[in-house]
Formats: sequence, structure tokens, C-alpha cells
Amino acid sequence: MVSAGELLLLAGLVLAAAATGGFYQTNHLVTAPQTTQFLEIGSNFKATCMIVNTTEVTADDLYWKLSETTVSKELYTKLNESAISVTVPVTSVQSEWLFCRAKKGKSPYVFLNTGKFMYGVLLKKGYPPGKPENVFCVAVQEKTTISSTFRCDWATVGRQTSDVPTKYTLNVVVIHIRNYSVSTEGTHAQVEFVDTYPHFMTLEIWVEAHNMLGKIESERITQDANSFVKTNPPSDIKVISEKYFPTSPLMNWTQPINKSYGKLKYEIRFCTSGSPNWTYVPKGDIATDIQSFRLQSLQPYTEYITQVRCQLGHWSDWSGTTMKTAEDRPTSKPDLWRTIAEVDGKNERRVQFISKDPVFANGRIITFDIKIQEQKNDNLQWDTILVNGSESSDGQRVITVLKDMLLADLRPVRLCVTANNSVGTSPMASLFISAKGREDSPVKGLKVWSAEGKLWLQWTPPNGPDLSEYVVEWVSGEQTDWQRENKNTRLTAIKGNLEGFVRYTVSVYSIYSGRIGKPASKEAYLKEGAPLEGPVVRLNDKPGRNEAELGWVEIPLHRQRGFIVNYTINYTGGGETHEVTVPGNTVSYTLKSLSSNTKYDTWINASTVRGSAQSSTHSFTTLKYAPGEVESIVVGVSLGFMFVVLMTMLLCLYKKDVIKENLWPRIPDPGESTIGNWSPDYPLKAETLKENCLSGISVLDVDVCDGKSVFEEDKACLPLKKDKYLSEEHSSGIGGSSCMSSPRQSVSDSDEGSDMADTTASTVQYSSVVASNGYKGQTPNPHPQQAVFSRSESTQPLLDSEENPDMVIQESSRQSQRFKQENPAEIHLLEMDQQQQEGGVESLGFCPRDEESEQTKPSEGQSAASSYMSQREGYRPQ
Amino acid sequence: MNGHVKSMHFQRFMETATTLLSLLLVMAFDSSRTVAASRNQQCGDSVQKSLKLSRLLQKESVDLIKTYKASQGEMSELFCKVSVNNVPDPNISGLEPSEKIASIYTHLQEFFPHFEWVYEQQTDLQLPTSPLLSDLRRFTAGSRNLAYLIKPFYQSLFPNVPLPERGPTTLPPPQNIFQQKVYGCVVLKTFKELLSNVSRELRSLKSQVCRRRTHTNTLF
Repeated sequence: MVSAGELLLLAGLVLAAAATGGFYQTNHLVTAPQTTQFLEIGSNFKATCMIVNTTEVTADDLYWKLSETTVSKELYTKLNESAISVTVPVTSVQSEWLFCRAKKGKSPYVFLNTGKFMYGVLLKKGYPPGKPENVFCVAVQEKTTISSTFRCDWATVGRQTSDVPTKYTLNVVVIHIRNYSVSTEGTHAQVEFVDTYPHFMTLEIWVEAHNMLGKIESERITQDANSFVKTNPPSDIKVISEKYFPTSPLMNWTQPINKSYGKLKYEIRFCTSGSPNWTYVPKGDIATDIQSFRLQSLQPYTEYITQVRCQLGHWSDWSGTTMKTAEDRPTSKPDLWRTIAEVDGKNERRVQFISKDPVFANGRIITFDIKIQEQKNDNLQWDTILVNGSESSDGQRVITVLKDMLLADLRPVRLCVTANNSVGTSPMASLFISAKGREDSPVKGLKVWSAEGKLWLQWTPPNGPDLSEYVVEWVSGEQTDWQRENKNTRLTAIKGNLEGFVRYTVSVYSIYSGRIGKPASKEAYLKEGAPLEGPVVRLNDKPGRNEAELGWVEIPLHRQRGFIVNYTINYTGGGETHEVTVPGNTVSYTLKSLSSNTKYDTWINASTVRGSAQSSTHSFTTLKYAPGEVESIVVGVSLGFMFVVLMTMLLCLYKKDVIKENLWPRIPDPGESTIGNWSPDYPLKAETLKENCLSGISVLDVDVCDGKSVFEEDKACLPLKKDKYLSEEHSSGIGGSSCMSSPRQSVSDSDEGSDMADTTASTVQYSSVVASNGYKGQTPNPHPQQAVFSRSESTQPLLDSEENPDMVIQESSRQSQRFKQENPAEIHLLEMDQQQQEGGVESLGFCPRDEESEQTKPSEGQSAASSYMSQREGYRPQ
Repeated sequence: MNGHVKSMHFQRFMETATTLLSLLLVMAFDSSRTVAASRNQQCGDSVQKSLKLSRLLQKESVDLIKTYKASQGEMSELFCKVSVNNVPDPNISGLEPSEKIASIYTHLQEFFPHFEWVYEQQTDLQLPTSPLLSDLRRFTAGSRNLAYLIKPFYQSLFPNVPLPERGPTTLPPPQNIFQQKVYGCVVLKTFKELLSNVSRELRSLKSQVCRRRTHTNTLF
């Protein structure tokens, strides 16, 4: 259905089109409205599109596009064959174009003249203006008058868009005189009154907010112009503290503006220096248009900040000054306390009485009067203690040491104290110290914790009677401080200036009518942190083979910054790192299962709840052997050796006869020997020898060259050439054998022999066969005859063989071995036979000494040669 | 018996009617008192504001004269002791409050052209930055404001009596500098005197006019 209004709109469009025929000569579509539209977000917008001066398209060929989106046909309304309308919701904030377009495919004309079949309207969106609120106007003082500049501020309400900005107009009407108006896009504006501020005139003020979607006014303010005046604060403020009115100083000031502008109201406040809490003088107590006021109920000798402000319209800023009230007599007791230290070795206590100025000292405390009163011997004399007069800079009361004294453990004492300032004396305070061990019961269940930057304490009261108050004491190093709490207190916070990271010993003393009870104490930190340093690590003893005992020195208290909850011991060695955590009260730990002969690095982390600190690294090397291990080995070996020796000795003792018989065989005494004569049982065959120096020498297993004997008995023999005797080839003879053998070699060789007795016999020259022509100086028969051999039956070694042992050691070994295997006499004889068969006696070997003997006694050698031959023949039958 | 009953009913009706009438009278009286109080308060506020402004101007006139003297150079004290013709009369005329208020308004109006003239003269005599010029402008504006306050006050009090129009202003003939300085000082001093008279008259008018209006309303 097409409404009558829409038809009227169409008619209007047609008329408009006719009136602007030039435009429609180029465009065949036109919309209503035609120009930019400002729309309220959330509303609906209706537009109509009409076909003008063409029959190429109809309303059915038209469509709408909103920006790049084709509007759904459900929102279209066909008015007639040449007009169509659309209703679109206004949602987004961004401005958009709404186009009416015709379908291109209708005809070639439309296709070729697309621009003529399109018409758009720009939609700008926004919100209607909000009502300005909180309009606040002010005219400030300028020198001695009020400025004619009148400034107003207000708050905006509602939203704005950049397409539809809101402007504000400040309207100020001086009733019956003049209107002022100024526009702005901000939230404040100012008007300039002509020539002067309209004092005592009535102003009407309002702010109008307006934009393309509407306008709205704020509430109208109709007030006297002076109600918008903000004067300067009062000036030249002085506070006079009078001696006789220490609690009521007089405050003076100068009005900021002449009172002909109006009566000024005042407001006064004050507080002690550093306090954030102001005390306001009741407004009813302050008259208007005054320039002085007497403050009341201030504390004497206290620094105050006093401030005042005035009001003609708006309140001025505050202005003020700092003053100190006059002194007055102390009105409260001095805060008396004591510290007690034990004295070593004596039954005494060192008591120090200390005091803070009275809470209401009302002046500077100059002196303390003290009286020490012992129970049975009252001392009624008052002593005066001068006070240095220094005041604490941090607002804390100064502690004055009143008295130091030694007090017997079993002796109680009472101290009475008054404090004096320049005006008067305070009430008396007293403190009673009981005999040691007789203090009343302490509070129970004391808890101390840190919260909100304070140390809090909670306790359960003791059962004792006459409880009057509590004293909370906190000690850090040499510093002691305390505060008093009334007897009903169960929970309190320490009011002193505590420092973080400092350990405090907090004690609660119950006070029984001046008598101090036993304390309950706890240690606490206001704030904990990581230690500043780690503990000093060392070894308590030398490291062992598999263990080492670590010890460490506690971190100095002021560097702990918290309770040490545990120590973490780290040690690394042999490529492995180990970690052990021990409780915070531990000061040593034994590392076990260490590797021997290994270097270990160890360090300790001391931890609080807030962090930890690491010690420096300490290195040590474990031992290769455990202590005593070496000693055990040495002792064991020694014992074993001693056992062996002992056993050997015992063996020797028990088997000495056997040993003696084996080691020292019984040797016949040569002195007891007799010479026997025997004749060989076969005829000797005379042999022609080139050299027969060996005649008369027969050696049975002779290891030592009995050169002497040879020299003495047979030195005429051995006419052999020297070179022959030195030759190896010739040493295989009997003479060589006898010369080169040694007794030592023979003894060693004897081990391999089958018969110990025989072997032993072979090592010593206990027998000799001599030529029959003589024995030891006996002159042999110089004539050739049948050889007669003499044999000694003695087992005594020949002593001469020991005189030159070195000369015969090397050469004798071979010959000695032969004697081990066979009967030496037979071997010699067999060899001699063999040598004779091969070439005569030239191959016989002789020692050089024998050679010398031969050279010096050549004549004797000849006789010896004959003896030798006889020996051979004569020996065989044995 | 019936007649007695009827009489009793009528008597009760009369009592009720009397009570209601009395109540209405009390309400009407109270209402009139409220309206009268409101009007009286408006009257008092207007007079009070005018009085305060006149006092402020009076104080400012003292300051202004000091400033004026200070800015005129030597012999400034002498300037203000010389009498000058053509300066409006500071005295308020009339016997009735309306006449007095009208006189106040008229006298204030009469001074404004002289202020303008003095300002122009001093503009030629002083540097543009002279505080005298700004003080003169401020004082003139404040004086106009006083006149603006008096006028609605008068019109509210005497709506049927129009304020008399300001008569022709006679400004002084061309003057030399000395005459200008004397003239300016005399104008300021005279106006200060006028303000003093205005304050006094307003104080008396406040008690007279506003109370009388209260009585008038009460009688209605």
C-alpha cells in the first residue's frame, strides 16, 4: 500500500525534477532525500527512488545498494511503476552511501549509460547530544578584585561520532543586563563580562549541547554572581602561642578581598606535624568576616600545622603555617624500663634503668629525678639525672639511661622517677625488679608475625593477680625499645620504627602493679630477605678416604636478613654434583661415599624464605688410603716377616744337626791323615812328553789353582809356552781345570748334584793326589821309576785354593760341571787319555801362575811331567 | 421528639460548617502569609543586593579617587578641592520611597555620561596601560549594574509607576588639562557622595518598603 504521504513525496520529486531539468537530462534516477542525511544510530531510514525521463527501466528494474551490499528486496516497497522505496536500519557507526541503481541487462541504453541509472545519498550516523551535567562555573580573584573572566566546566553525557559531532554553547545571562554566549566543542568555555564582574547581580547559566540530530540544554543555574567567585586564600597567617595559654594559640590572617564584596566564611583545621589527620574547627564556632581565631585543646610544646580558607562563593584554596605551642608541665609519667644482663661468675645482675620522656612531656625534659628504694633499706635521697636534651629526628621518644647498677640476684629493688621540664615536674613512675627467679608468671601462647608492614603480637594473659599492664619489648643487637599496652590487650602491633631484614627479639612482660613478670619471647623479622652472604665453609678435620666432615660458620646476624630455614650443601667431584639439604640449625655435616683420591669442590647455600646466598667454594681432596691403612699393611707385613724369621729360627734350632751336617760337613783333620803307598795294578807306559811339568800334580775337583803349591812343589815344571796356556783350547786339560775352578762356583753347582756329600767334596779341595816323588817339601825321586801315587785321605780343603779365588772363577766353571756328573777322577783320566790319543800333552791347559812357576823353575817341571804320567796310570784302578 | 432531633442535626451541621469555615480561613491566612513572606524576601533581596553593590562601589570609589589622584601628577590634592559646575547633584530627592528610588536611579543615570567624558579625557592624559583607565571602566560598569539593579526593584515595587526618563545631560565645555583633571576628580568625588546617599537611602528603604509591602499583602 502506498500512503498518501509517499504520493505527495513523489509529486514533490517530480516537480523538483521538472524544476531542475538540467540535472535530469543526464540522470534518470533520483532519490528522496537527495542530500547527505544525518541519522541516529538505531533508527530506520527510508528513501525513495524515482525513474525520470525514461521508459528504459521500470520500478521492477531498480535495486538498492548500501555501500557494497545489495539491500534485500524484502525491504523494498514499490510505490508505482516508476518509484520504489526502501527502509534500512541504521546500525553501524561508519558513514555509508545508499545507491539506487537499475539493472544493466534491461536494455543496451542502460548498459551503455550506467552512470545515468544510479543515484546515491550519503548517510552520516551519530547519536543525539547528551544533556550536559555538573556545570561548574567560577570567577577567580585577580589582585584585589574579581576577574571578569567567567569559566564554566561541564561533563558530557552520551556518545558521539566523528560524523555527527556535538557542540556546546555556554550561555550566561546577567539578568536584566546582558546575555553572553560562547560555543565550543570541548567541555569548558569562558565568557568575558564587559568591564567588570557583575557583583550582586543574578546570573543564569546553562549549557546547550547540539549536533545534527538535535540539541539539549543542561539544567539552568540561577544564582548570585558572587556565588561563583573563588577568592584567593587568606594571607599573612600567623599563629601566636602565648606562654600562659599553651594549648590555645591565637591565629591571625588577612582577608584576601575587601569585605564589601561580601561576607567571607572561614574554615580552620590543624594537625601535628607529620600527621595526616586534620582536626577541623567546628564551622559553628567560626564567625564570618573574621581575621583571627583562637584555637583550643592543642597539646603544649607540639608543632602544629594550621590552615585556613575562606568562601565567598566557592571555597578558596587552603593557606597555612606551622607553629609550635608553648611548654607546659609534664602531665604524664615518664616511661620507665630496664635491661638486665647476667654477670658471669657472680650471683649478680647488671641492671640498667632507662626511660623515655613522658608521652605528654609538654616540653623538653631537662632532668629526671630518680630514687632507688630497696625493700629493707630505703634510700629516700633523690638523684637528679641531667638529660642531654637531644630529640629524636624520627618522632620516636629519646631513651635516657638513668642508672647502671649491679644487683644481687636475690635482691629486689624499686626505682622511682619523675621528669622535669622548664615548667614543672611530671607524676612519678616506679618500677619494681623482683629477685631473680621470683618473677611472676609470663603470658602464654605468644605469637609474633609480620603483616601490613608491622610486627603483630598476640598472647593469652597469665593467671597471676593484680595484672596492671603489659610491656612489649623488642631488642635488636644493642638497641632496646618498648611500648606499653593496657591489661586488656591481647593483640597489638609494635609502634616503633622497625627495620626490615633485622632480627628482633620480641618479649611480652606482664606487669603486676609495677612488678615485672617473666617475659615470653620470640624472634621475628619485620621483613625477610635473602642472606647477604653465604656461610664460611671449612673442613672440621682432614678429609678421609671416603668421607669429609664439613663445618661452617653461621652468617653474621646482621647479614642473615631472615631465618635460615636450611642449608643446601653442594659438592662436586669426579664429574658428579651432589646436593644435600640440612636444617637451618645445623653447622656441620659429614659427606660420605666420597671417592678416594678425588678433589671435591663444595659450597653451601643458606636459604631463608625469601631466597638464598651461596658461600665461596671450598676444595679438598680425599685421601688415597684411609688413615691407618698403611700402618696396618706395614704391621701385617712385619708380623709376617717376623713369623717367617721366627719359624726359620725355630727350624734351625730343631734341625741344627742336619743343617750343620749339610752345611759344615765333617772334614777329616789333615793332621791326622796318613800317606799310603800303593802301586797301580797295571804297568805304566812311558810317554815322551814335550813338557812334563804336570808330573806330580793331581787334582780332584780342585777349584782353586793351588799355584803356591805348584810353585813350591812343582815350580820347576810347566815349561809350556805362555800363549798355549792362555788358549781356550788348551784349557780343557787337567791343569786348566784345576786352576780355573773356584769353591764358590762349586758350591752353587752342587745343588744340582745327586749326592750332597759328593758335591760338597767337589767344592773344596780336601784331597790331592801328589806325585810320589814328594809331598810338601819332600824331595821326589829324580830318577825315572815306576810311578807311585800318594793320596791324601783328609777331607780338609786345601787352604791355598782360597788365596787367589778371583783368578780361577771364570775358567773353572766348565770343568766344575763335568765333575758333577761323573766321578771326577775318572773323568780327568778319561780326558787325559783322549787328549793323549789325539796329539799328546800340548793341549793341556795351565794357569798363568803355573806358567810363571814353570819359567822360574824349569828343572822341576821335568820331574813333574814324569809324575803326571804315572798318576794317570796309577789312578785308573780306583 | 422529632423536632428535638432535627434541631440536634442542624446544630451538628452548623458546628461542622463552622469548623470547616474556620479551617479554610486559617489556610487562606497561612497561604497569604507564605506569599507575603516570599514577596517580602524578594523585596529584601533586591534591596540588599542594591545596598551591597552601592557599598562596594563606594569602597571602589575611594580606591578610584586614590588612583586618580596618584595618576594626575603634582597638585592632585588641589584638583579635588575645586568646585566645578555641570556635575550632577549627589543628593537624593523625594519623600516617598518611589520618589527616592526613582531619584536614585535618575541620579545614577545622570552620572554615566560624565564618566564617559572623564574616561575619554583620561585616555588622552594617561598611558593606555594606566590602571586608572581600567579602574574607571570597571567602576563605570559597576555603577551601571547598580542602576540595573535599582530599576527592576523599582518596577517590582511600583509596577504602575514608570521611572522618570533621564533629563538632558549637560557636559562641560572644552577644557584644558588642568580643568580636565579637576573635572574628573570632582565627578568621582560627587559620585562617591551619591553612593553614600544611595546606601543610606536603601538602608532606610529596605525597612520601609519591604515591611510595608508585607503589611499590605497581609491585609489583602
